[in-house]
Amino acid sequence: MDIEELLKLLKDELLLVLGESYGDYKKEAKADIEAFLTLSKVKLERWTSLLQAGELTVEDYEWLLVSQKDLLILNALYQAGISKLRLGHLKNKIIKTIVNTVVTVVI
Amino acid sequence: MKPSLSFQYLQVKRVMLFRLPFLMPLLVLFFVSCKSLKTAVFDQYSYQQAISIKVEGLSLMGDAAEAYVENEEDVRVFLLELDKIVEYEKNKPDNAVSYAMWQVVANEDRNLLAGFFKRWKDKGQLSNVFIDEAKLQVSESLDLIIKYEANKNKANKTNILNFLSAN
Repeated sequence: MDIEELLKLLKDELLLVLGESYGDYKKEAKADIEAFLTLSKVKLERWTSLLQAGELTVEDYEWLLVSQKDLLILNALYQAGISKLRLGHLKNKIIKTIVNTVVTVVI
Repeated sequence: MKPSLSFQYLQVKRVMLFRLPFLMPLLVLFFVSCKSLKTAVFDQYSYQQAISIKVEGLSLMGDAAEAYVENEEDVRVFLLELDKIVEYEKNKPDNAVSYAMWQVVANEDRNLLAGFFKRWKDKGQLSNVFIDEAKLQVSESLDLIIKYEANKNKANKTNILNFLSAN
């Protein structure tokens, strides 16, 4: 099976399904679906081949797909945490600069 | 006549002293607004436990080609270890992100570490191909937790170490 064709099919299908329930958020849903499919492309390709070869059951395949979704949630948390850490470092630098300047000028 | 440098300095100082009462509330507001950015410092115990959970968890997952009943006790002990680290992370101040990450991994209704053991229990036995693929997923998930811990503020860690060695 051509993976590009499968990805396109999945994208259309997901948009159709999600569009029914989340019509107001179609733009956001589209971006989420694209990110999920792009990041999962290599794995989807491998799992689909294994499914075709009968080495994975449909249930195994579904479990792995959900695990990929959970992994993306974890990745989003990680990215949020890293941004928070970076902002924290920036905040520390700002505080240090304010304190140094005030101390130099006032004292 | 041009004012001397020390005169200019005194003028700046005077202006600053005059403005300080107005600046202080702004500074306080700044500090308060930054409170939400506080993140727990690097924790050697959390880091070691995360690595230990990863190594032991992946090793135990490798046994899932055998019958679950033969490994039930090992899984029980391992899941207890997992519960302990989740509880530890939960009670650490300013640690919301790490705790949320551990919750995803330890939730048996999600398809990562604890979810894998639930599936093994339900199915009784799993195929080698599935185990290998699931191990890759779980390994990736725990790497994120380990990497996040490793990225936490090392400067504070150094300060703590300096403080401990000085006392």
